[in-house]
Amino acid sequence: MLCHVTCLATVAVLFNDGTHKELVSSVGWTTPDELFSCSEDHQIFRWNLLTNETTLVVRLPDDLYPVDLHWFPKTVGGKKQGLAEIFVLTSTDGKFHLGSKTGRIEKSVEAHRGAVMAGRWNYDGTALITAGEDGQIKIWSKSGMLRSTLAQQASPVYAVAWGPDSDRILYTSGKQLVIKPLQPSAKVLQWKAHDGVILKVDWSSVNDLILSGGEDCKYKVWDSYGRLLYSSSSHDYPITSVAWAPDGELLAVGSFNTLRLCDKTGWSYALEKPNTGSVFSVAWSADGTQLAGACGNGHVIFAHVVEQRWEWKNFEITLTKRRTMQVRNVLNDAVDVLEFRDRVIKASLSHDHLVVTTSLQCYVYSTQNWNTPLIFDLKEGSVSLILQAERHFLLVDGAGVYVYSYEGRLVSTPRFPGMRSDILNAQTASLSNDTVAIRDKTDQKVIFLFEALTGKALGDGKPLTHKMEVVEIALDQCGAASDRKIALIDKNRDLYLTSVRRLGREDKTNKIGTMVHTMAWNDSANILCGIQDVRFTVWYYPNAVFVDSDLLPKTLCTTPPQPQGLTSPPPHPAPTGEFSRTPHILNYVGTQVTVRRADGSLVYSTVSPYPALLHEYAGSARWADALRLCRFAKDQTLWACLAAMAMANRELTTAEVAYAAIGEVDKVQYINSIKELPSRESALAHMLLFSGHVQEAESTLLQAGLVYQAIQVHINLYNWDRALELAVKHRTHVDTVLAHRHKFLQDFSKQETNKRFLQYSEGVEVDWEKIQAKIQMELAKERERSATTSVRSSVASRR
Amino acid sequence: MAKDPLAEAGLHFDELNKLRVLEPEVGQKTTELKEECKEFVDKIGQFQKIVGGLIELVDELAKEAETEKMKAIGARNLLKSVAKQREAQQMQLQALIAEKKMQLERYRIEYEALSKVEAEQSEFIDQFILQK
Repeated sequence: MLCHVTCLATVAVLFNDGTHKELVSSVGWTTPDELFSCSEDHQIFRWNLLTNETTLVVRLPDDLYPVDLHWFPKTVGGKKQGLAEIFVLTSTDGKFHLGSKTGRIEKSVEAHRGAVMAGRWNYDGTALITAGEDGQIKIWSKSGMLRSTLAQQASPVYAVAWGPDSDRILYTSGKQLVIKPLQPSAKVLQWKAHDGVILKVDWSSVNDLILSGGEDCKYKVWDSYGRLLYSSSSHDYPITSVAWAPDGELLAVGSFNTLRLCDKTGWSYALEKPNTGSVFSVAWSADGTQLAGACGNGHVIFAHVVEQRWEWKNFEITLTKRRTMQVRNVLNDAVDVLEFRDRVIKASLSHDHLVVTTSLQCYVYSTQNWNTPLIFDLKEGSVSLILQAERHFLLVDGAGVYVYSYEGRLVSTPRFPGMRSDILNAQTASLSNDTVAIRDKTDQKVIFLFEALTGKALGDGKPLTHKMEVVEIALDQCGAASDRKIALIDKNRDLYLTSVRRLGREDKTNKIGTMVHTMAWNDSANILCGIQDVRFTVWYYPNAVFVDSDLLPKTLCTTPPQPQGLTSPPPHPAPTGEFSRTPHILNYVGTQVTVRRADGSLVYSTVSPYPALLHEYAGSARWADALRLCRFAKDQTLWACLAAMAMANRELTTAEVAYAAIGEVDKVQYINSIKELPSRESALAHMLLFSGHVQEAESTLLQAGLVYQAIQVHINLYNWDRALELAVKHRTHVDTVLAHRHKFLQDFSKQETNKRFLQYSEGVEVDWEKIQAKIQMELAKERERSATTSVRSSVASRR
Repeated sequence: MAKDPLAEAGLHFDELNKLRVLEPEVGQKTTELKEECKEFVDKIGQFQKIVGGLIELVDELAKEAETEKMKAIGARNLLKSVAKQREAQQMQLQALIAEKKMQLERYRIEYEALSKVEAEQSEFIDQFILQK
């Protein structure tokens, strides 16, 4: 998340020798370097990319014309399959065939009338779905036994895809797309998606987005509720194939003599015009670096994703070839070339380190020294996600989540039951120096939190549960572990902030923004930036919400909608959904925010450097410097931040000045009253009250034995019941409570209706003079006590 | 006039006083005819030869014309298809150009954003210096 890919291009390699005589109908990868292709010349070929060898696997019977080929999924629920690999091959004669890697057809099953257009295994390999020209969709067991006919329609079904949890399927019905849950009673979602017949669909398990392409020469991206996120401009020829990359960040589109590589938001990274005829099927290798296409002229086309770029501070890294990276230091134009033994699969550049994973190894470079990387072997090759924090980084592969130190030591392996690491992305996992947060897939309201150093669940082991499905999480990066906060965006696009480590305090999740589409924490201070509706917003001190929630709006910096055309409509037509207009924040490093607009262009925005400085001063308790800075900058927002920071650190003098500067007279007065309080405990309690923590204030006072003060707090808050309860419980000041209650009722000319008060008021005589005397006594007692404790402590300190 | 009894019997003498059955005149004419006939046959033969050659030549020409014609048709078709090919190529190039244009637009926006950042930063620096 912190580094970003800026540009991509494909390099196409065509294999000409020994190719098929007729059009190739489908391709499927078994390993990152081995591909199977089937063609209408009744042959199945195996392509080995390491040796560049092509071997004929099997000659199918002359009456068998293959249509679709799909390999049994390799990983099932995070576990590697030990079984012999099988594939499903559908054909025009209405049958599907289960074949082994050696090419032997194990079983042929009569499935449909007319051709079987598609056959797809679900993600855990327990079921197979076939779609036929006869308009039927059938589910089969792994061994090829018919389970049920899921759907039936009058027109042919051209394509079918499984939903991310394998509990729903997506299929085409002419110009419409249909999402049908496997549960018979559940609601079917159907919508008109294209102006022509839809030919291909794909549904990403990682980002839950749907991709469709049809005879109207357009490809479109949808969310799983059927809302249009992107619609391409019209191509010259129908879209004949679409495919999501395994990590859900890229998508590939094939058409006549065309191969296109696009971002998940739809805009195009690269366009290739190879002489291939129509590309009938595209398939990504499991590591997401290679792409194969089945071409109409009997070729199989291979493409590699190169020219990826990462930028961080003054470094610019480009993947020039599959195994070569070029590092450019912009400050002095020094260029380093990094060579790798194997293909680069993932890379991440942030926090002074570059982490690169290849199919076998992980390389860790420091930005100080590009010559000697730290290299260690990976258990499983295909790393799907790298997250970096200042002290360590997180690798995610199909089997699990690993935290490594920059010295290459495995620090921990956080896991929870039912974890599916293969579908984690930067939005659903977050890392900070001490914490790992992972959103659950099955229950999207749940966020699992782990100690980064041990991999154990935080606190009592209970995950954080939000009231709504969470779509994005992010941990703040700085400060003490005990203050670690997590920001989360839920399905309603509300932004919440909550503590990760709760030290016995009540559950508090505070809303700090609405209509937030994207957010990012700063890398060096706990400043959060996000895009709220159409405005770019910076939360200079989000913690203010825990200290003084009235202050939060004053600590925001909101830029009007126009800056750098953040919201101007992209050049592509018909972006109707709001999502398609909204940009995505890539990173927030130092004072610079990098934003990717919906049309793919990068825009930058600077944030004032003062708040970060203020954070630094507050963090090191240099309040005088902080005050000087605010006076120098003369910014109300900054003063508000300082007020909140000072209150959070119980620095009353600074808080008083800051509140005065933003004209919050009432608060200044309250702070003054706190300062005049006789004992430390009651001052603490009132500061807690200031932040609205009544419960904690009460318990603080009670712990210190200041019962009267606790009662008075409740009286002041008109918390009559609790005040009386405390008074009765501690057998003191019952008359005080009653007297105040009486006065209150008199002032508002009301009658006593509360039964408990009626009950107690019978036996107690109210005498204001006596009460005042008692109060004075209590206060004197407190003063005396605090005096002795302070003398004691000063004596102790002298010793 | 007295008839030559020999002549009546169908016998004649020629100039060389050899005995002849035909009248010498007729004989001479016959020989002449024969000569002429021979000449005629020769000429006819010659004529046939010439005509044959001519026919052969014409045939060859026809053949050549035919191939040339085919060639011309081929070339014409090729020309037409080249135009189409060019069109296709043009379309491909157009698509690529559109792609590059989009990329350029992205870069332009990025550049604008960066210029703005630069302006903001220099403004900030100026302010900073002034305030000090």
